[in-house]
Amino acid sequence: MPMHPHAKPNFRNLFWYPFKITLITALRTFPIFGKLFGKRLAMGYHNTTHPEFLDDGSKARADKNSQFNDITQQQFAPDRVTSDLFPTLWKPQTVQYPYERLEDMEPWLFVPGNYNGRIGVIWETCTACKLCVTACPNDCLHMTTELRVDVLDSADGEHEGFGAELEVGGYAAQLIPEIAESSDDFNHVTAHSDTPDQWRFAEVLDLSGSTAMVRWNDSGIEQEVEQTELFVADDQIVSGRIDLGRCMFCGLCMEACGFTSFFMTNEYDGMSGFTRQDLWFDASRTRVLPSVHQEAVDAELAKRANKEKDKRAKKAAKAAKAAAEEGA
Amino acid sequence: MDDKYDLRGLLFSTFEDLIPKVLEGTPLEDSSAQIAFGLATFAVVNIVFLMLFFSQFAILWIERKAVARMNDRRGATTALRSLWVGENGVTAGEWWNMLPFGLGKPIGGLNKWLNKKFGNRDEKFATVDRVNNRSWMGYSIFPGFFQNVADGMKFLVKEHMVPQRADKLIFEVAPFLIVSSTLLILGIIPLSSGMYATNPELSILYAIAIFGIAPIGVFFAGWSSNNKYTLIGGIRSAAQLTAYEIPLLLTLLSVAVLSGTFNIIESIHFQHSAGAWNLFLMPLGAGLFLLTMIAEVERVPFDMPEAEAELVEGWWTEYGGMRFGMLFMAEYIRTYAACFLFTHFFLGGWHLPFQGLISQIPLLGDAYLLIPGAIVVLVKAWLVFLLVFVWARFSLARIRTDQILEFGWRILLPLAVLQVVLAGIYRLYLFDPTAMKDTAAGGWAWDAFGVPMLVPILTTIVWLGIFVLFLNDEDKSGNTERMFHVYTEKPAGTYVPGQE
Repeated sequence: MPMHPHAKPNFRNLFWYPFKITLITALRTFPIFGKLFGKRLAMGYHNTTHPEFLDDGSKARADKNSQFNDITQQQFAPDRVTSDLFPTLWKPQTVQYPYERLEDMEPWLFVPGNYNGRIGVIWETCTACKLCVTACPNDCLHMTTELRVDVLDSADGEHEGFGAELEVGGYAAQLIPEIAESSDDFNHVTAHSDTPDQWRFAEVLDLSGSTAMVRWNDSGIEQEVEQTELFVADDQIVSGRIDLGRCMFCGLCMEACGFTSFFMTNEYDGMSGFTRQDLWFDASRTRVLPSVHQEAVDAELAKRANKEKDKRAKKAAKAAKAAAEEGA
Repeated sequence: MDDKYDLRGLLFSTFEDLIPKVLEGTPLEDSSAQIAFGLATFAVVNIVFLMLFFSQFAILWIERKAVARMNDRRGATTALRSLWVGENGVTAGEWWNMLPFGLGKPIGGLNKWLNKKFGNRDEKFATVDRVNNRSWMGYSIFPGFFQNVADGMKFLVKEHMVPQRADKLIFEVAPFLIVSSTLLILGIIPLSSGMYATNPELSILYAIAIFGIAPIGVFFAGWSSNNKYTLIGGIRSAAQLTAYEIPLLLTLLSVAVLSGTFNIIESIHFQHSAGAWNLFLMPLGAGLFLLTMIAEVERVPFDMPEAEAELVEGWWTEYGGMRFGMLFMAEYIRTYAACFLFTHFFLGGWHLPFQGLISQIPLLGDAYLLIPGAIVVLVKAWLVFLLVFVWARFSLARIRTDQILEFGWRILLPLAVLQVVLAGIYRLYLFDPTAMKDTAAGGWAWDAFGVPMLVPILTTIVWLGIFVLFLNDEDKSGNTERMFHVYTEKPAGTYVPGQE
């Protein structure tokens, strides 16, 4: 049984690591040590190295010579106003969430990686085995299918051309360039909404030469489109919805997943809403960090492309063999 | 070496000079020596006791602040200032007006002056002023230190309730048994060679004996409360007692063997005169002592008798009001006493670190020796509390009853026996009694093969090596099998699209 590296009952994990973690946790709350530990994060104290992340108010608060940092200018004293040992060293402590975030102000106080935060699923590597659905004690996971563009179908570069092909009665999709561009600016971490959909889907009515007759799903209008503009879409791609209102963040789903596609991220934002319906998370809202996602997708893409390559090579070899036999 | 500041000698000589003169020509003249002795003893006992008692507020504060840091907070901030700053003109309840004969008038005057001088700045922001009561313009000295006083006041005014079907006599006796036996421990703890209440010949034996009385009170309390939780807590305490007391006694025996004495003050003198603290001669014994002492004072990870998660509050569930307060205080006094004993047995008592070397430096050495021994002992005890008791408390998880029994009987006991044997070998074969010296520089009694202090240095290196071996004793290759979590390279919220 694979065991979590921190679960092995040896001297280091039972005795030494707890002591070490406690020490670091306590020490990093003192700015002098916190800055030292936070150096690895390449962020300055009060995020001075990346001031573009702070709004004007925060910048003013973090500024060394700001009136907010002058104790005699203060009209009130929040709880954490001075240090015990150096009462003259003063800094603003209240973090104006969500306009400021603790990770920006004091980067060494970031959320630990093993914190069970918002659920993130890499749907491209999901095999719909439903182990997570079975494991969930609160029934918050629901598996569905969705009309989407398969990764392999939309791949370009090395793995291009190994996807499925357009066929009559199937679905096709077209990229909407404006949305695709603007979705680069979309903040995956803090957004309370889905990523804007960059695809426009259509049913394929007829294929003739280099064009295809399609009926757009959004308008019902039939149109003749160049096949090079279209990507193959599929309405049977696995997808899911998660009722985050029921979730207790136990992480059993993550541990049940055998394909490293189910994660509890360490993010705590974007999980609130004004209605219970807002807490129903569609596939696009269960996202992991883009870099992690990209890495998993790239691996999956290579796997599938190689599989397809092998398949085609075998098919070709078989055909060649059959042709040779026929010729003989 | 004796501490420079001899409070005992000063008080005794003062009273012995003064009392015969005062009593001259009175019927008490003949017994003036005894009266002087009695008064001097009374004075020194009170001073030492009050110093030990009130300095324990420091450890409560240390623990509170440490847990606050663990939670990224600063903890309670009730400061001394809350005595003279209040709301709506009512300052700390104006309690001085309730004292008889106008005795509180000067206190009231002082409070009014302090309020005027270091009160809130204006009356424009009532809510802000209420928040501001903890500090003056953001400055506060030892924020949270006086929370203990506030807690004590609260316990004092709370109702005392005895469960209806409790064994009332035993229920009332138990806390007093625990508290009184705990206070008796303080009697033999020296703050320095010139500042101790009493110094019996066999004070180590006395310490062990008196430490062992409180668990009986714990069992009394658990049984007499007539409550399932308290009973389980009491039984657990009794079971735990058998597992750790014997290793503890053997560890102290090895201290006695190495120092050649059953007296605490003499064992401190030995550590200095021989040239090395016992910590560096018996690191194993120091570890055993700390482990068994944590079990003795029932702190995490050996706190099954009062396991909050399972047993409400363990054997003291049914106690409330000041009796709870006293039991709480007794727990901390026992912990504090354990810190002092560790300081005395293993950290050289009132002797400064590297005293022998630093005292040789011309001016600096003299200045170094001016630090009072009582301060050295207190600082060492506070550091032991912070670095051992508090750190362990916030790091380790509570262990099960069977685990502590197994650990005590099958690991601690053999190790303690080994330590006794080692102490005997050190004393008989590695120790050079002729090199003992009771000066500021200390002696060099632990040289071996002509290398100065080779014995403690080698011992420390060997035990550190064993510790490091334990740390690395695992197969790290198996740890990469499965990735469970997303470990972010950047902190959340700092992701900027297009920038990698």
